[in-house]
Amino acid sequence: MTNFIDFLLGGFSNGAVIALMALALVMVWRSTRMVNFAQVGQAMFTTYIALTVQQSTGNWLLALAVAMGAGLILGIVVFFLVIRPVKNSDTTGAIIATFGVLIALQAGAGMVWGGDPEGFIPPVSNAGLEFAGRIWPVSLYDILVWVVTAALVIGLTLLFTKTSLGLSMRASAFNPEVARLSGVRVNRMLITGWAIAGATGAVGGVLIAPVSTISPNSFDILLVFAFTAAVIGGLDSLVGAVTFGIGTGLVISLVSGYTDASNAPVVALVLLALNLLLKPDGVFSHHGSRSV
Amino acid sequence: MKYVLPLTHPLLALENISITLSGLKILDDVSIGVPEGAVTGLIGPNGAGKTTVFNIMSGFLTPDEGTVRFNGKKLKHIQTHHLTKLGISRTLQGVGLFASLTALENVMLGGSSRIKSGIFADSLGAPWADSAQNKLRGEALEVMTEFGIADAADRYPGELPYPVQKRVAIARSLISNPKVLLLDEPAGGISAADMAELGRMIRSWTPERTVLLVEHHMELVMEVCDLIWVLDAGKVIAVGSPDEVRKNPAVLAAYLGTEVDA
Repeated sequence: MTNFIDFLLGGFSNGAVIALMALALVMVWRSTRMVNFAQVGQAMFTTYIALTVQQSTGNWLLALAVAMGAGLILGIVVFFLVIRPVKNSDTTGAIIATFGVLIALQAGAGMVWGGDPEGFIPPVSNAGLEFAGRIWPVSLYDILVWVVTAALVIGLTLLFTKTSLGLSMRASAFNPEVARLSGVRVNRMLITGWAIAGATGAVGGVLIAPVSTISPNSFDILLVFAFTAAVIGGLDSLVGAVTFGIGTGLVISLVSGYTDASNAPVVALVLLALNLLLKPDGVFSHHGSRSV
Repeated sequence: MKYVLPLTHPLLALENISITLSGLKILDDVSIGVPEGAVTGLIGPNGAGKTTVFNIMSGFLTPDEGTVRFNGKKLKHIQTHHLTKLGISRTLQGVGLFASLTALENVMLGGSSRIKSGIFADSLGAPWADSAQNKLRGEALEVMTEFGIADAADRYPGELPYPVQKRVAIARSLISNPKVLLLDEPAGGISAADMAELGRMIRSWTPERTVLLVEHHMELVMEVCDLIWVLDAGKVIAVGSPDEVRKNPAVLAAYLGTEVDA
């Protein structure tokens, strides 16, 4: 039983980061109805930028802020350079183009920062906390990860539900033509969606870097987990992405704890397959009630 | 009101519009004028090109030839999201509501183009973004109260009866305080009693607002319109007062069996 609780607690941080990546995928899906497979590549790239900032200034908060800004800009750049020219003619082509962006970002990062894994020093201790006579699988850094993730999720929720920007973005996602008739600048909303997704992914990258390492390919596995979480959540649900992001983190932690860490991706793919067989629209999807 | 044709200063006008879609000539040299402060009807059998006229006016389609004028000014490239700023608001066939937004949010969306707080103010939850949002919420509730649908504010369109959904859609197009309303089959799927109410509502908007109405229900068209344009197979075949149009042999022939006199 102690094992079970430890594995569960240990899974929350990973789950939080998976949730952020899944959120990024969902925001891109909501704005342009496509999956951005380059999302983790963008996060990897901005995490390298954060690493450079941290190494030269020693300021973690500054590194996080710069990564978010870079993620915002990179999201817009990818949208304009790659997605918009392709998407107008062919959505499938645009999805394949995101793979191209992923490969280009990985190659670019390799050229700038080299291919060897680098460590990212956490701003607070990553050692398990001692409490009630034993060491728990939760560190100060884990708590920081939870706090930052919670703050971001709450911020995004407020943005989407309480502001006119959020209202316009939700409307653009569900029916661009009607939104335009209501005076919404839909294209601007799509770009905003890509930008916010880029910043969200960037935060996820910076948060995960100290507990893994960073190399041009180190986030690839995160794509598998985040994609699974986003799809099970219904691809257009922010709540779904967060719930199943954390859920996926817990499942992975249990699987890694009881069997072997290398089984985790397989389990994620099995979950994804089961979901597609049993509830292909996802658990939190609006598809059933959507109308024009 | 009786209109002398051709209209001297129509508020909204199509001039010599032609458009071909997938090899079919949908509109062929069509000129239509909409006088200010009146209710103008646009009727015709299915496939006559009525919706295409609306789609051109809303910027969904660009005509091959011809011009659209608003207030005497030529609209070169109509951008759909710009229409509400010009003062033109369109309702869609059916209801065209967002299923995932509440009735109140649907109505608020119609006025969101008028409030300017900016992306960064919104993201940061700036106080002025909040107050603009609250003002819009207040206005939306006011319009909904006027329409007798205030108690539907927090419900989703799917949970509301069809006539209420229709009212939400009309409230959404009115909140931007448009000069011109383009109504696309507003009477579709509603009861006779609701239709009479709708007719009174449309009349009550004039002369402050100008209405262009596409509608299949002839009773409604004949009752509310000051001027009626009749399209058939992409051409204007008649124009005039309801009485003139009712008696026009070309119109009777076009409808062929459809009862024109109500």
